[in-house]
Amino acid sequence: MSCEKSPNQFTGAEKYVLDDELAEIINITMALEMPLLLKGEPGTGKTMLAHAISESLNMRLIVLNVKSSMKLVDALYQYDTLTRLNDSRFGDSKRDVSNIAEYIRMGKIGQAFTADEKVVLLIDEIDKADTDFQDDMLDVLDQMEFDIMEIDKTIKAKHRPVIIITSNAKKDLSDPFLGRCNFHHIAFPEPDMMERIVRVHFPDIDKELLQNAVEAFYRLREINGIEKRPATRELINWIRALRSDPDFKAKDLVKGKTPYLGILFKKSPDYSLARNVIERHGK
Amino acid sequence: MFTNFFYTLKNAGIPVSPTSFLRLQKALSIGLVNSLNDFYTAARTILVKSERYFDLYDQVFAHHFEGAELKDPDETIISDMAKALLEEWLKNPKEIANALGVDESKLKDMTPEELIKYFMERLKDQTEEHHGGSKWIGTGGTSPVGHSGYHPGGMRVGGISRNRSALKVAMDRRFRDYSQDGPLTQAQMGEALKRLRNMVPEGPKDQINIDESIYRTMKNAGEIEIVFDKSLKDRLKIILAIDNGGWSMEPYIEIVRTLFYYSRAQFKDIKTFFFHNTIYDRLWEDPARMRKPFPVNDLVKLDPETRFIIVGDASMAPYELMAQDGSIYFEEYSGMPSYRRLEFIADTFPHSIWLNPKLEAHWSYTRTISMIREIFPMFELTLDGLEKAVSYMMHKN
Repeated sequence: MSCEKSPNQFTGAEKYVLDDELAEIINITMALEMPLLLKGEPGTGKTMLAHAISESLNMRLIVLNVKSSMKLVDALYQYDTLTRLNDSRFGDSKRDVSNIAEYIRMGKIGQAFTADEKVVLLIDEIDKADTDFQDDMLDVLDQMEFDIMEIDKTIKAKHRPVIIITSNAKKDLSDPFLGRCNFHHIAFPEPDMMERIVRVHFPDIDKELLQNAVEAFYRLREINGIEKRPATRELINWIRALRSDPDFKAKDLVKGKTPYLGILFKKSPDYSLARNVIERHGK
Repeated sequence: MFTNFFYTLKNAGIPVSPTSFLRLQKALSIGLVNSLNDFYTAARTILVKSERYFDLYDQVFAHHFEGAELKDPDETIISDMAKALLEEWLKNPKEIANALGVDESKLKDMTPEELIKYFMERLKDQTEEHHGGSKWIGTGGTSPVGHSGYHPGGMRVGGISRNRSALKVAMDRRFRDYSQDGPLTQAQMGEALKRLRNMVPEGPKDQINIDESIYRTMKNAGEIEIVFDKSLKDRLKIILAIDNGGWSMEPYIEIVRTLFYYSRAQFKDIKTFFFHNTIYDRLWEDPARMRKPFPVNDLVKLDPETRFIIVGDASMAPYELMAQDGSIYFEEYSGMPSYRRLEFIADTFPHSIWLNPKLEAHWSYTRTISMIREIFPMFELTLDGLEKAVSYMMHKN
């Protein structure tokens, strides 16, 4: 079996903290040239990973944001009938109306296939689409080619893109789908990992503030009955807010003061629940 | 390579496919896997396709590569071992005594409690490794608890392995949280019910109908006319009828409440009714079943495309379902058995189902469940059941 091994191995990027396990999974996936399916709680950095890969390997990133109403063909190519209709009526463009190929625009997958260099293709939140879409798309990714019906032409991938697929779903995707990808589940980071992540975003952060904030964050996450638990994104925004407040002192967090709760809890029942818990502890 | 490991995974209930196994071989052959650590990660990412099986994978991995030390013996393991020793002792005192290198008669005089204590002390003394000889905890010894011992329980002490870290990872069972068991949460329900939708044209006309535009343009002899359509939106109507009375539904209150709150938040057009045990002339719009009755006959006025979902354990005395005046409430006597009413509902709404919080395995023990199943397709109120129910309701379109 011939298999070109990527000379550049993935080790992490400037704004992305990677654990060894995940790094290895990505390298294996890239070597096997298979799509990698990433699952995990919102805020564990599934989407960020694709950005990080493209950044560190210096490859262009193409993002396909899946929508629930999306059809597979939208992701492959579009036949711009309206422009053609318009051109045929007024004939004031340089395009050749009788040549349909001039009215074919590539969708995101099509762009990844026709790109002149190897790219990273991120298919974000695949679970939004229905199962048929997923299975059909995997066929395309498996064969690395698709047909444009209107001009009877087969588009073959010039270079196999690195494909990252993310899903928020708790339930499993269909079996044929899973059979064609590698799989990884990103667990929510442990506190020490989280401190490293925060430090990547705020290199000059005060140690005391970092520790207290992360500690308070995990305490707040554990409150029973919270519907949408704050994730990494919320923590980083929260720390940004804390740092920009001149009156705020890192010691306050230990004393049980927790300003800017609204950054962490975005649903009003969650917010008031957290508020109550904090006040009870404060007394 | 690792064929046994593959079959152990399969036997443990992880859905692993031969294709993925071949893929793993490919990964091995291109030299990406250089340590057991690598193998742990590679095999998991290639073979295991859901985090629900990660925990099981960890267990199988630890079990399969058990040439390594599993865990440092702590107090409970030592006391377990002492107990196992005692059992062995009771079966074959002579062998144990020989293995321990003590006189059989000396141990014979001890009570079981004293024996346990004695064993535990001996076990704790064994902090250093002992190989070979007649030492009773060591890798080559003849002891019932050693590495190659013949105790069926297979407890082991000592034996350092270079493979430690991957196994330690596996031993941690980090993914226990994602195992399949556990109660149904709102998020899981959302996943199951997400596909329940009914797309109809709705709202402003903002989508171009290409076929129609071309047709009209042709008719206008080339003068372009663009035709717009309404875009498709989800307009699914749902009626949720919940059995909220009686002690028989008591154990399921939590799960039914989750379903109720979730569907209220999720579906734009939802009506909720309540009943006790089964449906007679009236449904109730208030949970207390007192103030707001809704005549069952009026259901015909509603859209027959509505998905009618009944949630209940369907467990009652057979006469409540079959008798003419079956209701346990006097004022509900109506002259028509509940059975007929249910048939009426099933006829009115072709997309109707019954969700039962009781596990399917127990259904056959209750007569009324079998009777109601003749009228409504019945599904378990679990993740799997909900998924089946949803695909049933979507398929009959």
